[in-house]
Amino acid sequence: MDPIYADAKYQDVPYEEKKQLFDEVKADMRWHTSLYGCYECGICVAACPSARFYDFSPRVFAQVMAREDVHTFYELLNESVWDCSQCFSCTRCPRQNNPGGIITIMREVAVNHGLQSAKEALKAYSRIIYKIMSTGTQVAPDMLQPDFFPDWGPDVQQVSDNLDVWRRAIPPETMHTTELAWDVAEKTRVELYMIWKLTGNLEMIEQIDEGIFMILEEVMEELLDEHGFDIDDFDSVID
Amino acid sequence: MEQHPILIIGGGPAGLEAARGAAELGCPVLLVEKETILGGTPILSSYAALTPDMESAEEAMKRMADAATSESLVDVRTETTVVAATGDAPEITVTLAGPKGEEQVVVGAVIVCTGFQHFDPGRETQMYGYYEYDDVITLVDVERMLKAGNFVRPSTGEKPKRVCFIQCVGSRDRQIGNFWCSKVCCGIACKEAIEIREHVPDCQVFVFYIDMRMYGFWEDQLYWKAQEKHKVQFIRGIVTEITRRGDTVVIKGEDTTMGRPVEVPMDVVVLSVGMEPSEGTTAMAKLFELPLESHRFIETVGGALNTVSTSRPGIFVAGCAAGPADLEDSVSAAGAAVMKAAGFLRKHALSTETA
Repeated sequence: MDPIYADAKYQDVPYEEKKQLFDEVKADMRWHTSLYGCYECGICVAACPSARFYDFSPRVFAQVMAREDVHTFYELLNESVWDCSQCFSCTRCPRQNNPGGIITIMREVAVNHGLQSAKEALKAYSRIIYKIMSTGTQVAPDMLQPDFFPDWGPDVQQVSDNLDVWRRAIPPETMHTTELAWDVAEKTRVELYMIWKLTGNLEMIEQIDEGIFMILEEVMEELLDEHGFDIDDFDSVID
Repeated sequence: MEQHPILIIGGGPAGLEAARGAAELGCPVLLVEKETILGGTPILSSYAALTPDMESAEEAMKRMADAATSESLVDVRTETTVVAATGDAPEITVTLAGPKGEEQVVVGAVIVCTGFQHFDPGRETQMYGYYEYDDVITLVDVERMLKAGNFVRPSTGEKPKRVCFIQCVGSRDRQIGNFWCSKVCCGIACKEAIEIREHVPDCQVFVFYIDMRMYGFWEDQLYWKAQEKHKVQFIRGIVTEITRRGDTVVIKGEDTTMGRPVEVPMDVVVLSVGMEPSEGTTAMAKLFELPLESHRFIETVGGALNTVSTSRPGIFVAGCAAGPADLEDSVSAAGAAVMKAAGFLRKHALSTETA
């Protein structure tokens, strides 16, 4: 059935466009182990932490995909798909369905097509993406500022004032850092960058946030140059 | 002393199995069938393939009938009914009415195998319009079409693009007065859905249900198979009404999973009609003074551990005359009834000898 509900948000998007993305999800190599058949038993929703806080239901993903409801699929692809915490509690399904896995594939399709909703949903992650892809670590100690983390309480002030001292109290030397979570060797950063490039992750970032992508590429290619690596010659990096 | 035969009433799966089994135990059998042919409902209602193993109903019932009739101890009377009975087992005098008139016979024990009839969809309290719309049919109609190898949309004779089943028609319904689950309709709907998908590959098939009741191995043999391999769509929610829009029937119901009302045009709607006691079952209960249980089937008195003994010693019931049953249970009950009937007669013979 392909009913389009009166309250559907994406009424104006042509069916063919929605169907193309739908087919792309089903063509994914992981699809055949993602969805067998749904009992509508609700165990996935019962187990789902996101379902407790959002209007989100992993069961609906299983149902909509099984029913090939292309219109509702497109609604989910633009909205609810971002409410999942990807914890995979839903995989306790008695039919061995993997609603979280369906969502993984759907997110990748949303990102690869640069959907506006995906850009918005991932906006807050740009900084983290940049940080992890350029430094190899996600959160730096110097991000612990009272302005940014008021919910961490009054101690944050004290910690941030003497961050350098606190960090030196940590036994491993690799943790005596304030601008990075820990020391990451440049070679490691280069290798990580090459992995992200090779696996198509950088292309996804280009779709989602072109600005971040351009800065990242500039910074990293400079680093590669410094080390005498040819961006297109992976062997030289790995050796 | 001549041994009185066991009277088996009904030549369907239970009756045929009972007849064969009794003869193999050395008991003479009088098998009475009101129709001209043996095989019971699977034959009379033109079933195509049996659930769950898809064996041809024709072949399977022929095998059962051959097994019963090839026994020299089995005396088969077709086109015959029991019209009167007096006395108690092991000496009940029954009057048979057949093509050659009436005849009185003394029987030692009785096994009632008079089965069920399909619920008449004209009695449903929704608005499905079985007698109004050509494209609203029943599970039984589907069997007939599948047996003929031609599943089509009745109003046009063309292959359908969209077919749905509506479960629990005439079952589990207080309004109708049929409180019971008919046990087999979920499995049969899955079986027919698979057959339709195989017969018409580009036809979408939907099953609207309250809950799919798949006993034991039917779960993966039928339900999972239909859903996973044959892409049959199962939608929890029952249709309340069928209307017509142009040349097409439209179903109206709730998709309870999605929390949405739905209205969908269908080329064919199949009503999954349940089981009711057959006229023969009701008549035999009256004739042999067998109490009915609360669902109007013949009451058994042994609870869960004895599903074939009635309140009258020496009179037993097997198959759907005692309540909804699949073939496996009907045939198993027939075996149990034969064992009890033979045991009853043997005990009585021994006590007569020693007296």
